[in-house]
Amino acid sequence: MFCAPLVRARNICAAAAIQYRMNSVFFVMVAASLAMCIFSSPSAAFPAMIDGASGAITLSLKLCAIYAIWLSVLDIMHKLKCDRALQKLFSPVTKKLFKGEDEETRGLIALNFSANLLGMGGAATPLGIRAMERMQDGTDRATDNMILFLVVNATSIQLIPATVIGLRSAAGSLASSDIILPSLLATIVSTAVGIALAKVLALPSDRGSKKRLPLAEKGVKFD
Amino acid sequence: MTEFILPVFVLAIIAAGFFKRVNVYDSFVSGAQESLRLIASIFPYICAVLIATELFSASGLAAVMTDALAPLFKLTGVPEQLCELVIIRPLSGNGSLAVLEKLIAEYGADSYIARCGCVIVGASETVFYVCTVYVSTTKVRKLRYALPVSLFSCLVGAVVSCLLCTFI
Repeated sequence: MFCAPLVRARNICAAAAIQYRMNSVFFVMVAASLAMCIFSSPSAAFPAMIDGASGAITLSLKLCAIYAIWLSVLDIMHKLKCDRALQKLFSPVTKKLFKGEDEETRGLIALNFSANLLGMGGAATPLGIRAMERMQDGTDRATDNMILFLVVNATSIQLIPATVIGLRSAAGSLASSDIILPSLLATIVSTAVGIALAKVLALPSDRGSKKRLPLAEKGVKFD
Repeated sequence: MTEFILPVFVLAIIAAGFFKRVNVYDSFVSGAQESLRLIASIFPYICAVLIATELFSASGLAAVMTDALAPLFKLTGVPEQLCELVIIRPLSGNGSLAVLEKLIAEYGADSYIARCGCVIVGASETVFYVCTVYVSTTKVRKLRYALPVSLFSCLVGAVVSCLLCTFI
């Protein structure tokens, strides 16, 4: 029925070389940029790479400070069993979206989502990393649940974009917060599109998520 | 309003912890320790991503791509002044804020272009950074369809942002 075009679309997308590695993304970006540099401004190449690396050092130091505070607050929350309450609150959503994950993983996902909604990126990232660690199946391929989780995080689910509002009011805007509603609507649309696409592209054999590992060990092929 | 959320939230947690006999001091010590460990494992990935994105914009490749993609963006209803922002947004958080500041200074904080730009930045994330950092401590190296789906969804978000700003 109307599922047929969806299945066909999924097969086309899967065929369109979606099995790339981070390695190739990195290589294409760096190689193309360096080639461009050689033609336009060869002397800019090396300083740019050093700028990138030193940017990473400053960012990491800043993140280390932010995570130190958030991981402490999260530790207290964990001991107070606040995460349990949040997990129960989000449970109808997380159970539907992340099939096959255990309660603790769904708890981390719920905490990550709430931190993201409130704009606490510093708390969301360590939680997200922990959730991703629990969702992996031991292979070097991301599971469908991991990808879904990545997509939700990468499309932003922030309720109030505080940084941008700050920028606007600093520039003398008369109504700096009138972007809240359009931002919220846009982010809902992009996240919904992302979830829908991720669900369509998820391999049928992966729907049970954790079932893939034993089958793969038996030498069953899916591609 | 929003500036109250964080201090009130942290105070509430610390106070609740203290009165429920959680050792708040120990929590902060172990949090700081864990943070060091976490940064040690994600720093290499942040470094690689930033080297790539810095090269991408410094080499002029970002500008070339912006020019090449401008007609495509026009078709979707994104004004060409926002092209650079839409392209840099998934690559670099600081970079996109710099572009946004430039747009605000050039067109005025309450102009259509600046408002659109703010909504685009406010309603999206640094996709490459998120995808790299989140998988950094796992064994995963093949992200399969994660990047294309995230990038496409963010593009849809940008198109919707520009549409919404015309009547909100």
